Formats: sequence, C-alpha cells, structure tokens
Amino acid sequence: MSRGWRIVRHAVGSVAENRGRTALMALGLATGVAVLSTVMIVAEGERRQIMELVNKHGLDLVMVRAGGDVQVFAPRADRGIESLFEEDARSIASELPNVSLVSPVQNQRGMTAVFEDRAVTTRVFGVAPPWLEIRRWSLADGEFLAGEDIQGMSRVAVLGAQVARQLFPEGGAVGATIRLGGDPYRVKGVFMEMGASAGGDDWDDRIVVPFSTSARRLFGRPHLEQIVLRVSDVRRIRETADQVRELLRVRHQIGPGEPDDFFVREPEDVEGAALETASTLRSLLLAVSAVALVAGGLVIMNLMLLAVSQRVREIGVRRATGARASDIRLQFLSESVVVALLGGVAGSATGLVVAFSLERSGLAAGHVTWAPFLVALLTSGIIGLAAGVHPARRAAAIHPARAVAQGSL
Amino acid sequence: MIAAEALYKSYRRDGVPIPVLTGASLTVGPGEFVAIMGASGSGKTTLLNLLGFLDLPDAGTYRFEGRDLSAAGDDALAAVRNRRIGFVFQQFHLLDRISAVENVMLPLLYAEEDVTDGAGRAVRALDAVGLAHRRSHRATELSGGEQQRVAIARALVNDPALILADEPTGNLDEQSGAEVLDIFGRLRDGGKSIVLVTHDRAVARRADRILRLERGAIVPGSAE
Repeated sequence: MSRGWRIVRHAVGSVAENRGRTALMALGLATGVAVLSTVMIVAEGERRQIMELVNKHGLDLVMVRAGGDVQVFAPRADRGIESLFEEDARSIASELPNVSLVSPVQNQRGMTAVFEDRAVTTRVFGVAPPWLEIRRWSLADGEFLAGEDIQGMSRVAVLGAQVARQLFPEGGAVGATIRLGGDPYRVKGVFMEMGASAGGDDWDDRIVVPFSTSARRLFGRPHLEQIVLRVSDVRRIRETADQVRELLRVRHQIGPGEPDDFFVREPEDVEGAALETASTLRSLLLAVSAVALVAGGLVIMNLMLLAVSQRVREIGVRRATGARASDIRLQFLSESVVVALLGGVAGSATGLVVAFSLERSGLAAGHVTWAPFLVALLTSGIIGLAAGVHPARRAAAIHPARAVAQGSL
Repeated sequence: MIAAEALYKSYRRDGVPIPVLTGASLTVGPGEFVAIMGASGSGKTTLLNLLGFLDLPDAGTYRFEGRDLSAAGDDALAAVRNRRIGFVFQQFHLLDRISAVENVMLPLLYAEEDVTDGAGRAVRALDAVGLAHRRSHRATELSGGEQQRVAIARALVNDPALILADEPTGNLDEQSGAEVLDIFGRLRDGGKSIVLVTHDRAVARRADRILRLERGAIVPGSAE
C-alpha cells in the first residue's frame, strides 16, 4: 500500500476513533443533505405526477378560439367570426420560444362522406400534422397527415373510429377512396377509439383532412376556428398563454381597452396552480438546504480548526516520527472529507426516511432515484474538501519543534 | 555519527531575538551514549531539536552520518527523522486513542517504501522493551513507565542509528526510570548512538560521556 493510501486509511481510522467529535462535525452537513435529498426525492415524485397529469389531461395544451371570451357558451350563430388565420398560427410558432408545436384548426359540421352505397354526416376538421401530437391522439391503422399532404393540398383523410365503422363495417378503410364534398379522398388512416369529450363531443365522429385542403378546396375559406399549441415547459403555460394573447392583439391591431376577437384557453389547472405553489416551496427548500450545506461546511471547517489547535502535540509526534508537512495536510484533508461524506450518508438516509414519511402521510409524493444520493455524496465530498483545505494547511504549517514543545507544556 | 560545530539558534519574542544556543559544538560517535546536562533554559531541548532535524540552526554546521543537510527540504529531513532517528520525550507523547502496538507502528505509516509485516515489527519492538503482552492496551491504560517503554519501542521500530531522548525519566518514578535507562544501556550495547539530555546527574552518569551545556554552549572540557 502506498504511503498516501496508508495515511488516508489512517485518517479514516482517526475519524472512527473520535465518534463524538465526528458526529458533531457531520451534523450540520447532514442536516443540509437531508433537506436536499428530501427535496430532490419529492421533486422527482412531483415531476412524475406533473407528467402524469400533463399526459392525462393535456395540461400543456393551449387553445385559441376565434371570437371573444364568451365564445364557448355563445349560440352557434354567433360563431364563425373571421378573426384567426394561418398567419397567426405561424407567427405563434416562430415568435414564442416556449411553444413547441402549433396547428391551425378549421372545422365544419354537417359534411357528408360517402363510400359506395354508405354515407355518414359528420364533422370535418382541417389540421396540420403536429395536431396529432398536440392532442395526443393515436391511430388504430394507417398513418396521419404528413407535410407533403399540406404542401400538395392532398385529398387525403383520416377517419374517426365511428365514421370508419359506419363507412367500412367490414374494415379495410385505409387505402380506400371516399367522397367528401363531392370530391374523392384517399383514406390514410383511422384513429383509435377516443370516446367523447367532457363537453359531450363525440371524438370518434369526425374526419380529419389537411388544413390546406380544407381551406382551399373543401371549405373554401381562409379563417380558422382554432389554433392549438403545445408548450415545452408546462410550468410557464400561463405566461405563454399571455404571450399568445399579446401577440394576437398586436397582430389583430386591437387597441387598449378593446376586447379580444379571440379567446385563449389554457388548461383549467387547479393542479397547475398547486404545482406552482409546490415549485415555489421547493425553491425555498433548496435555498434552505444550500444555506444548511454552506453552514455545515463552515461547522466542519471551524471544528477542524479547533481540532488542529487541540492536536498540536499529535502533529508534533507525527512530524518527529517522519511525517512530511504534506502528510499532515493529507491527513487533515482526508479527515474533513471523510467526516463530510459520513454527514452526506447520514443526511441522505434521513432524507429518504423524511421523504417516505411525507409520502405516507399524503403531504408529498416521493420517487427515489440514485440522483439525490449521488448529488448528496458529491456535494458532501466537495464541501468536505473545501472545508478541510484551510485547517489542513494550518496543521501542516505548524513547526515540528514548536509542536513537540507545546506537547511538553 | 554526528558532528555539530558552533550551532547558533535564537527565537524571537515580541520582535526581539532571544539567543538560546550560542555556538554549541559536540560530536557523538557510533554506539556512543552521551548525556547533555544543563539547567532549565540552558538550551538542551533546542540542541536536541537541531540534532533531530525538528529545527534548523541559524548558523553553524551540523553533519549527520557525514552529510550536511542544512540545505535539505522538509521532505528529505522528514525521511531522515523517519529512518535514522528515534525520539523519546519526557511526556511520552503517545496518541491516547490508539493501542500500544498502533502507537509503535506510527513511524511505519510515514515510511517511503511499502511496509510488510508492520504489526509484526511493532510487536518485536514492544518485545524488546518487555511490553509485547500489553500491545492491545491504550496509552491511558498503561503506567508512566510502560508508556515510556512504548515510546522507546516506537523510536526503535524503524531501527534508527540515533536515539534522541529529552528528559526520558523526568516523569517517572525511580524504578521505572531505572528500567528505561537499562533499555538505553542495552541499545548502546547493540550499537545505537544515544544522546540524552537531562538535568539529573544520576541519570547522566549512566552515559558514556557527560557534556555540560551552559548559556547555550557546551562548556569546553566539560566531558566527564
């Protein structure tokens, strides 16, 4: 075993022999690490909950509807305001960084689709390819619209499950050609069974075509019913919705005090508000843990300095028996790191217990990964190293003859 | 073994230099047991520190085993202390929280080379001072005489050429002191050079030669 390793091992033994002093030194850091790992475990649990909620309820979805803010509940006759256009969607996509996906949406009820001797009256939507991902829909068969379908104003369609069942009771919809508005449309895909929306809309009773096709061929009008978009950072969804609102007010040249000619609908997220509160609390706790970690480091440094002054005789004996100044430095630095790592381990274990207790009591969700422990140990090691540098240098600088003499006093 | 010529050493107190050694000269041959006597404050411990490279002189020359190490760095001096010199202090200077054998192994911790059978060497060193049976006891569990014998074993574990002892019997009763001096006698017989400082004439008489240190210098013609 090399001299360095012997000294490090000896330092570990020295820490183990002074249990009381070690515990006292490690306490502050252990507290900081306990808070840090609790916050990390709870944060990971929360993050997973957020993702579940986002996936389940589409909390990252913002809808912009044409018309004012009573649009949703207004009689149908009041709808159809020509206020949203494809350029608005493009502008949102290019100017707002937190917007990851955008699709314009047109729709028209009462359209008739025909295949051979079967016909259904349904609602037709004109959308862009990102729509599928924004709405988190999926296909049972075939494929969704592609970029070239938009560019080429292709006559292609994706059928809702119910429409597909009605037109193709025997199956085999994909690849078949239906007639829509009198024109032939090739069926590209069929949606999975989606059920009904909270508002009672039957999601399976619809046909989706490329937006360019609906605007220029099928409906023959440029204005949109909706723009749908997905945000990257769901925590900033409210801020992004406000940015959409501002952008559209500028684009639509709406003066101060004038009402919007559109309605931005963000998820009705009680969960979102709760998560924001949790996020604030988490930031606060992270700040507390940072303070505790720094304080823990200072405690270690001060107690190490105290230990150096109490162990002058020992330093003298070590120097007399052949220790170099660098050996003394290594010894004290190793002790500081070992103490800090012990604090890190104790803190992580405490954090784990606290996180589980919080979960059991229903106060917070927790999810255990390796990350908090790795972060805790790494942080502890770095703090131990930083806290040990000054005491170790001071110990190494003690003159051997004076150290021996002090022990004789 | 050692040849010191006109060693000077002073310490500063409140910026004022206090001379401690004022030209001390001495030689000690291989296998020689030399006692240095002097009153408190005569510079005995300072001289011993210079001879053991725990400190360096302000002026003068000191050759150890034929080598002048005045320009050597901390690492080189530490290596000499580790391999060639063993210290015995008045207050034993054992580490309280570890066992006797672990105390004896301390110099092996700082050995340059890989150490094999460190525990065995330490036990043999303890055996040489008659304390192998107390190897597992902590310093606090040993009598003063036993503690000093453990300290001697620690000084011997690296088989040094020179033993420097600073009032080694100063804290011991008469019998324990005599046992320690017997050990020094045997070590001298085994070929080790020993320099012992003391203010006790009875202790000094056990040496081959006695030198008197007065006001920082060896008194010429003081050898008895």
